[in-house]
Amino acid sequence: MPEWLAQARQGVTDLVGDQAAEWDLAGLLPTETLRTLGKLGLLCAEVSPAYGGVGANSSENGALTAHVGSLCSSLRSVMTSQGMAAWTIQRLGDARQRQEYLPRLTGGELAAVAFSEREAGSDVTALTTRIRADGDTVVVDGRKTWTTVARYADLIVVFGRYGDEGAAVVVPAETPGVTVRPVPNPSGCRAAGHADVDLDAVRLPASAVLGGGGQQLQLLVTTALSYGRISVAWGCVGILRACLLAAGSHAGTRRQFGRPLAEHQLVARHLAELMAAEQAATRVCEHASRCWDERSPEMVIATVLAKYIGSTEAARGAAAAVQVLASAGAQDGHVVARAYRDAKLMELIEGSSEICQLILAQHAVAQSH
Amino acid sequence: MNTHPEETLQPTPDTIRRQILDFLQERIKTEVAVDRDLFASGLVNSMFAMELVVHLEQRYGIAILGEDLKLDNFRTVERMASLVLRLLDTPVADHA
Repeated sequence: MPEWLAQARQGVTDLVGDQAAEWDLAGLLPTETLRTLGKLGLLCAEVSPAYGGVGANSSENGALTAHVGSLCSSLRSVMTSQGMAAWTIQRLGDARQRQEYLPRLTGGELAAVAFSEREAGSDVTALTTRIRADGDTVVVDGRKTWTTVARYADLIVVFGRYGDEGAAVVVPAETPGVTVRPVPNPSGCRAAGHADVDLDAVRLPASAVLGGGGQQLQLLVTTALSYGRISVAWGCVGILRACLLAAGSHAGTRRQFGRPLAEHQLVARHLAELMAAEQAATRVCEHASRCWDERSPEMVIATVLAKYIGSTEAARGAAAAVQVLASAGAQDGHVVARAYRDAKLMELIEGSSEICQLILAQHAVAQSH
Repeated sequence: MNTHPEETLQPTPDTIRRQILDFLQERIKTEVAVDRDLFASGLVNSMFAMELVVHLEQRYGIAILGEDLKLDNFRTVERMASLVLRLLDTPVADHA
């Protein structure tokens, strides 16, 4: 493990301490904690040192993401969001935009990425948010829903229609016409700052449109989501690790009928399945990250697979962990109670399990001609 | 096997077109003409478009960023080859 990664893991462990339960119950992360991690470059660790970043590769950032995910999925969601914003700017932006925005993302500012709308979740073609050119400015109108981190964000990367094609535009949250309304009581990642974002005649310099706009909307969204998916997948590895630790420790010490729970075979099976799930999710994430690091085109499908396996295994594994801990873990804020709710949300976002299945099935067909 | 050093450094348009056709053949199991519209014909979706982007970057050591991600650049094998040639001529610092 590189020195920076060992230090970063310890740093996050110290910073989170025993507060994850409190954050979950309050539905709020301390902004100062987020800015501290942001200034260390750890919220988007793959950004190059040229922009003040750590310059991690996908495998290293994955290890960090899993570690944060094992402590607090809300905080891990902030990493996913910030990293996705940085990746989107890196890919879609021009040299001047990378120079303008990336140092801000490694300098303590927080970023959200807004895709979903009321009538447009998985179906990107149904997006109605419009980015309209007007002289040397653009005007953005739309209603975004369920934007992770929007509540804390200084910058919101908004995807919308631009003429007949698409564009992503960087919207400072303070711009007149931007209204951020936190989603009340989300069922998972409760402190991740999910919010609806209204954009009413939001006027920005044309230089805020990444790469000048006019790219295909689906390709834009696919590009951005790929980062989100690998990050969520690693976060799910973290959820599984936290569950394995909690269930293993409880089953090894709590005694019923004169012996530890782990010696009751039906309970032992839960532990075996949890361990298998954690290992399977880890390996499939390692493979996907290796594809990213080698810039292999297989990264696209390997990432969907990692997200699919990570999230479904985490949801199943967290349910097993709650079962093993029973009343000891059946209280909001408890690590397995959080895992149970957070993991379920991971099956819904960044491409639901069903959307991932469709992509995998299409791939299987294309490969079998 | 190509042994001309200058050609090893800078592949010819023909070589690039052939290599892209080989990649398409391997991945979508379909022979296409160099001017066939891959998207209009339904042969390519946005997931595969991203694979193409990553493949071209990795194969030719280029970075396809910003406005170059316009779908028009990937619509046909010919256009992809033109994009690759143009980016091979671009100093690396410009797309770092």
